Amino acid sequence: MKNTLYVGNTQKFNAFLLFYVVTASQIGVGIHGFQRVLYSEAKQDAWISLVLSFVLAHIAVMVMMKTLDMYESNDLYGIHLDIFGKYFGNFLNFIYIVYCMAAFLAILKNYIEVINTWVFPYLDTIFLCITILIIVVYAFSGGLRVIVGICFFSFFFILWIPPILIFPLHYSDLNFLLPVLDTELKGIAKGVLSMSFTIIGFEIINIIYPFVKEKDKYKRYVHFGLLFTLFLYLSILLISLTFFSGEQLSKTIWATLTLFSIIRLPFIERVEIITICIWLIIILPNLCLYMWSAYRGVLRMKFISTKKFTFFFVLIIFVVNLYVNKRATINMLNDYFGKVAFIVVFVYPFILFLFAFIKKKIKKSQVSKNEEN
Amino acid sequence: MKKTKPILILLICTLFVAGCTEQKILERISITTLLGYDLEEEDKVTTTLTVRQVSPDDKSSLETQSNTEETSNGTSIKVNLQTSKKIMAGQLRVLLFGKKLAQDSIEQTLHTTMMNSEISSSIYLAVADGTTKEIIEAQYENITDIGQHVFNLIDHNVEEQHSVSSTLHEVVRNNYSPFRDIAMPIIKKEGQIIKINGLAIFNKSKMVGELSSEDAFYVIMLRDKFKAGSVELSLPGNTLNHDRDQDDKLEVSIDSIKSKRSINLTNPSTPEFDVTVDFGCRLIELHSNENTGRPEVTKKLEKAIGDKMESEISRIIKYTQEKNSDIFGFGDDYYASVRNSGLTEAKWHQMYPNMKVNVKVNIEIFRNGVFE
Amino acid sequence: MFKNNKQKKEDKEKKEQQKNEEKPKKEPISPDKNQFLLTVKEKLHSPSDFIVRSVSDNMIVVYVDNLVDNKNLNEIILTQLQEVEETPEAIHQKLTIPEVDIVDELNKFIGDMLQGAAVVHIVGHEKVVVAKISAYQSRGLSAPENESQVIGSQVGFNENLSTNISLIRRYITNPNLCNEKFVLGKQTKTSLSLLYIHGIATEEYVNTVRQRISDLDIQDILDSAVLAELIDDNSKSIFPQMLLTERPDRFCDGLLSGKVGIVVNGSSMAILCPYAFIEFFQSREDQNLRWPIASFVRLLRFFAIFTSIFLTPIYVASLTYHYEVIPQPLLVPLSESRAIVPFPPIIEALLLELIIELLREAGAKLPTKVGQTIGIVGGIVIGTAAVQAGITSNILIIIVALGALSSFTTPNYMMGNVIRIVRFPIILLAGFWGYYGIMIAICLMLIHLLRLSSLGAPYMAPFYPPRFKQWPNSIIRLPITFIKRQTVNSRNEDSNESQQGEKKVAK
Repeated sequence: MKNTLYVGNTQKFNAFLLFYVVTASQIGVGIHGFQRVLYSEAKQDAWISLVLSFVLAHIAVMVMMKTLDMYESNDLYGIHLDIFGKYFGNFLNFIYIVYCMAAFLAILKNYIEVINTWVFPYLDTIFLCITILIIVVYAFSGGLRVIVGICFFSFFFILWIPPILIFPLHYSDLNFLLPVLDTELKGIAKGVLSMSFTIIGFEIINIIYPFVKEKDKYKRYVHFGLLFTLFLYLSILLISLTFFSGEQLSKTIWATLTLFSIIRLPFIERVEIITICIWLIIILPNLCLYMWSAYRGVLRMKFISTKKFTFFFVLIIFVVNLYVNKRATINMLNDYFGKVAFIVVFVYPFILFLFAFIKKKIKKSQVSKNEEN
Repeated sequence: MKKTKPILILLICTLFVAGCTEQKILERISITTLLGYDLEEEDKVTTTLTVRQVSPDDKSSLETQSNTEETSNGTSIKVNLQTSKKIMAGQLRVLLFGKKLAQDSIEQTLHTTMMNSEISSSIYLAVADGTTKEIIEAQYENITDIGQHVFNLIDHNVEEQHSVSSTLHEVVRNNYSPFRDIAMPIIKKEGQIIKINGLAIFNKSKMVGELSSEDAFYVIMLRDKFKAGSVELSLPGNTLNHDRDQDDKLEVSIDSIKSKRSINLTNPSTPEFDVTVDFGCRLIELHSNENTGRPEVTKKLEKAIGDKMESEISRIIKYTQEKNSDIFGFGDDYYASVRNSGLTEAKWHQMYPNMKVNVKVNIEIFRNGVFE
Repeated sequence: MFKNNKQKKEDKEKKEQQKNEEKPKKEPISPDKNQFLLTVKEKLHSPSDFIVRSVSDNMIVVYVDNLVDNKNLNEIILTQLQEVEETPEAIHQKLTIPEVDIVDELNKFIGDMLQGAAVVHIVGHEKVVVAKISAYQSRGLSAPENESQVIGSQVGFNENLSTNISLIRRYITNPNLCNEKFVLGKQTKTSLSLLYIHGIATEEYVNTVRQRISDLDIQDILDSAVLAELIDDNSKSIFPQMLLTERPDRFCDGLLSGKVGIVVNGSSMAILCPYAFIEFFQSREDQNLRWPIASFVRLLRFFAIFTSIFLTPIYVASLTYHYEVIPQPLLVPLSESRAIVPFPPIIEALLLELIIELLREAGAKLPTKVGQTIGIVGGIVIGTAAVQAGITSNILIIIVALGALSSFTTPNYMMGNVIRIVRFPIILLAGFWGYYGIMIAICLMLIHLLRLSSLGAPYMAPFYPPRFKQWPNSIIRLPITFIKRQTVNSRNEDSNESQQGEKKVAK
């Protein structure tokens, strides 16, 4: 097949690192406040929505990997070019690049908003944007090896969260979870939909696939990664549901942070302020991976030096960042992006798989015909 | 490289210029630890707060400020006009409501407090008997920091389960929960000391009644996961010794070791609840010379204590029903056990006064000290 | 062994190539005595320590005073020369000195002479005999001062290349210990040795080092530290990527775990590479202590690094921006101690850190005894006075002193310096943007460390790329039976598996 990527062995990384890549790419800003929207849709059955959304994610990722396996060493961009031809394929690639940039922007803006609300109300968003961009560019210019390294280390910055959840457990009341399955199915389904902004990130597998060393056993690590995120999200959600009363939860914008603010350790009070600052290193892999995905796409369309790409990418993000600066605009961005992300991550893979499957069948029959002739 | 260098320098410069943010240097701000709200005429609210003035010679003094304005932000601006340093609320420990304000409504103040990200949700809330101004502005001989003092007072009583836990988070949670009402301790100044003097119970965000501080024991027993706590009971005098007069009280003090409570809805239409409390305890004090080591004596005692507790609990529940204040969260239990109940806040408040509760207390005395 | 021979052949070829390059400069030796002396004197700019002694009418011996061993010269050369036939070949055969050469090129023997050789010139011959009897003035072996340890050997390298190599050979008596010689520096002609154990060291790293050294085109090289900076992967980085050690046991430990070593003449520090970040915090002494104690000390060291880098920044950030985070019991003493300090915390912290750095620098430059006094006097006097004058708070003094103390626990001096210096930018960031600033610093540092490599091997190994099996022994010290010889980044699997197997059997 044409468009196949040739990746040197030195550029590849071990399959088990995919576990860290997937968890790091999923856990981001969404975790700060996903409970609110989820609760407003699915009420006390929000956790069912969460589990369902992860089941869906497992299926979606399975389909993605099936599609990728049809091609030996190729990414989403190459598959597009192969199936849809040069023009339409490039058009789809362009859309995916825009999607990556939108994801980048949404993560950046949400994080800046959290910092501005909780820690530094007077700190300029321009400043925050520039500092984060500098860090991202520095990491990005180190190449995929460094990006995966950050994914790996950021995983350890997440690990302290589950144990610290014991403190709010003291205030929790199991009654708030009952009665189970009281919400209508429609509400639960809507809840699944509202999770899409929080759960996305694993679509990175589409792009990173050619760089994985052991192609025969990478799948289990992707699933493990999803399971870990499920465990983390579910524990946070269950604690939040029992910790807050219903209406209170629907009024709390960043429920996880409010949850943390009740924790009082002997040497630190107000854990949430430290959490927010530590979150910089947790969103870093998100940002780097999206930027890297965009770069891979741009490379497919036109060969461009890394420096030039970095310059334009940063410029676009920075300029757009200037226009999105109100809470209302950010919320709108989140809503739109969430819907688009749902289509890109949960719907589109199935369509693509279908096309790839048909194309493969046609090719096979052609080959067999040729052989007969 | 030649081009990038000036850009880099420019970038760093803009960073430092753009990145200037408000500093909150510890000794240059006034940190308030106790805040009190009182209702004045014409819906105005007086805010009273204590501020620690730091001085280098190890003797920091406390300063209190108060002012009246319609919004709490308005007051804080006015208070700032009176102090030499900016007042910050990040280390706030206790929020006090004047009795009048509590009887009016605490909804608005709660909302503003929650909106402020600076304030931790682990601060304690309490109602002041009288006005908060009296408590805060009074001079105390033995109390150096009244904010810290009140915080410790509530905190250790909550820890030992002498008082209902009333952190900002719990109060807001109960306030926004449709089927549960707020309860918070009442604080009173008596001469030179400040003490917890009972329990204020609320209907929605209005204070409607008071319970004595002894009753708090039973409220916690029904409300929370009960862990530790001791109670003093006066049983009828003839419990152990039939020769004695019934009016001659037998004083008993017990200390809980383990307790389990379960609430079951038996009849959704009335509604009717079965409340069972298994209470394992040890005997601390008994004003009698009976040998408590003997099984039949223990049994008698257990029975008497159980009966006494049952009647106390029933009395308290009755009182809250009269005031229509569901501080125990029976509504949540109702909502949790009845599927598709369509329960609303108004509906529950109609049902609550007619609710029937069957209380059963099983006492088990495990040990009774080293001397019989 | 075959490979080894091949390499040597290659080396010889290389040397020949070098000779060929120098050929146009080749100057013949005059057979005439006076002419010979004239040219030599001209070459050396007639130095005062150039000595000419005539043995007979036709034969003279020239040498540079103080570079040759007078005893050898008088007792062996001068006496034996009287008895031999006056041809270079005969002398070459007769002289009972370990190193005697016949040289027919002017520059070559002048070079030898400057390294301490006596040159015998015979009238009528275009060749001279070079007898190497150098008396190298070097300091005796002494205990290493910068890397002292309580338990273990107390010998350190000195400035003499041959002494150092003999020390290493005493530790590792193994025919596989390869020693390749290089000469670097157009002006100084410094000789250096590349050492590795054939079969344990990874071929790739040896080749890289060899390549990098022979690619160097420099005028002078006076110390191994300069060489280390010249040949490491990122010379702009603040972190050292190669270890400089003055301990032969540490050096041999490195060689045995597959690292490549370089010893430079005139420098008492030997280079070991590739070296990973975590290994800079492991001391050779850890191996000599019982494992629970060594593990505790190691963990203590990691804790020390953390406090050293982050304690002062956290103080600055908390007091400037995040007063909410300080627990209530600490709040009062903190604000009371800060009450009369006129500066914001960032200035206060920078001031105090600078004072500590000044004390350290002054102490390091002065002789040991005076240095200690300066440290104590300076620390106590300045510290107490600063608090009493109200320039700093006493809590900060504790924090800064703790940070300085912690930074000295790093077993490597170079890394200790890095940890001390890295604090300053972090304090600045913390002073401007609080915890967010600290987090920026952590991110940048982490990315930087991930980007670094040592001889192409990842610097953050074994943490990233993760080799989980090596984690326990990198963080704590496992009991010796659990330790595999190979350390971070030097995996030469096939040849080593067998060796390890043998070792275990032997045990």
